[in-house]
Amino acid sequence: MWLPFSATFKRNFIVMKRAYPWSFFIGHILSGAYIVFFAYLSYTFVFNKDMDTRFTAYAGTNDYLSYVILGGVFFSFAVSMLMIVSRSIISELREGTLEALLLTPSSRKGYFLGTMSQGLTRAGIELLSILVIGFFFGLQMAIQDPIAVIILFIILLFSLFSQALVLGAFMLYFRDTYITQNTLFVLMGLVCGVTFPAAYLPNYVEWLSYCMPLTYGIDAFRMVMTEGETLAGIQFNLFYMMAAGILYLVIGSIAIKRMEYVVLEKHFG
Amino acid sequence: MIEAINVSKHYTLKEKKRWFRSEKKTIEAVKELNLSINKGEIIGLLGLNGAGKTTTIKMLSTLLKPSSGTITVDGVDIETNPMEVKRKVNMIAGGERMLYWRLTGYENLIYFGKLYGLAGDVLRNRCQSLLENMGLGEAAHIPVERYSKGMKQRLQIARGLINDPTYLFLDEPTLGLDAPVAKHLRKSVKELAHQQGKGILLTSHYLEEVEELCDKVYIIDKGIMVLEDTPKNIIETFVKEFRVTVEVQNASTEQIHSVQRRIHEKGASFVSTEAAGGFVFEVISPFDATPLAASVCFELGLDIQRLETKKPKLEDAIIQMSEGLSA
Repeated sequence: MWLPFSATFKRNFIVMKRAYPWSFFIGHILSGAYIVFFAYLSYTFVFNKDMDTRFTAYAGTNDYLSYVILGGVFFSFAVSMLMIVSRSIISELREGTLEALLLTPSSRKGYFLGTMSQGLTRAGIELLSILVIGFFFGLQMAIQDPIAVIILFIILLFSLFSQALVLGAFMLYFRDTYITQNTLFVLMGLVCGVTFPAAYLPNYVEWLSYCMPLTYGIDAFRMVMTEGETLAGIQFNLFYMMAAGILYLVIGSIAIKRMEYVVLEKHFG
Repeated sequence: MIEAINVSKHYTLKEKKRWFRSEKKTIEAVKELNLSINKGEIIGLLGLNGAGKTTTIKMLSTLLKPSSGTITVDGVDIETNPMEVKRKVNMIAGGERMLYWRLTGYENLIYFGKLYGLAGDVLRNRCQSLLENMGLGEAAHIPVERYSKGMKQRLQIARGLINDPTYLFLDEPTLGLDAPVAKHLRKSVKELAHQQGKGILLTSHYLEEVEELCDKVYIIDKGIMVLEDTPKNIIETFVKEFRVTVEVQNASTEQIHSVQRRIHEKGASFVSTEAAGGFVFEVISPFDATPLAASVCFELGLDIQRLETKKPKLEDAIIQMSEGLSA
């Protein structure tokens, strides 16, 4: 698994250096920045810096700006990571390299992990950029347990990687990236507690938030980054994200293998 | 040896009938195909478009699973142990696919080499040597998007050899290539089979190429194997017409009539036309009439300026055969 991992990492790194996807990069930073900016404007000029009691009850804080800014930061990060991993195989199909890849006896997990790790360098810069913008608009951090932040970040990464495999399988099935990914991202933006707690939503919509590891990831990041919570305090979120990640990993691994085969039969057969 | 026994492949396709209505349709791409490829042998796989050639290659190279039948590579079953088979085979397709255009030729080979489990000096040396052999030494560090079509095709061959496969599948490898590049490629294919002992399966629409390279040819039509033989035997079986053209000078009309009579006596037909200072005649026969035409001219004391034998080609045989199949 190591060789496909390192080879794919290096390949993507070279491609990124030669043809840097500036539009994706800036686009992701801007969408994060827009969330922050709109939150600031609505909080200041629409709500007159006064949140109702329901928000405090649902969100567990009355610091709306920090709530939204962290939501925006990790929503943008999740979107980037999901896109980088899920689009990799369909991009191979479109560029005419899928057959050459599938001819090799290489580990597909190594390939996806290499793609994710390299993508992390780009998505990481995006995350930090939005975080810096967030500080100018009122983000207040209170980290007591940096180890918890690191562990949480790794587990979020794992769950997003697994979810991306399922998304990638859908993309291969529909032979589409735009509609498939944007449907998921709009849903995530709505139900994952990015700009408002999912509890505001009617029950029949709220249940969707339970299918998204990001819901629990954002919630946990708010706890450890703005409320000074420790590892013990986010155990439930970590457990849930791990469980969802494992479930998505199993479904995604089977589905992507199956879809690769379906694509080969339909496209090249 | 690669051995395919009773291999069939069918696809289920959805055919749109009306809005939101479609009907399932089964297409039998390959039907009970039997085929073998030995090491050091070049095998041709011929057939019209849609005959099932590419599907066959994709099954042999593990990309597609047969619907029924078995394929073994050196005794290893392709379905039960595809990873082991993948190490032994590789495929090169015509066109400009199967390469990363933003990477250089060298980076492409390094990438694919690593996917085959190669690393370190072994991989670096193999990449260098393959690039040199394919005449891409100087272009090794240029991104593929700046390569010409011929260079991309040669890089594809290098990619196909990166794992030093025992068996190589070439699907229309000279498609759209300039004549010198195609010639160089044919030379490389011969060397790979006859000097390095690789088993090669070749599909091509250029029948001269198949005739020049292949030790044995399989002909498939609508997924069914219709013939398996050497190019020479196929030609002899299907082509019953040999043509010899002779140009003679200072010949009289009587002498030409004598030639015609003696040729007719041997069961061949004869057509002559008057040319400047002599005659040009053509002998058409179910056998090679070159010795007959030469001896008749010699006995009659004719001055032969030109004697040309048109050897029947595989293309003629395939045309004859396809006419027979469609009749």
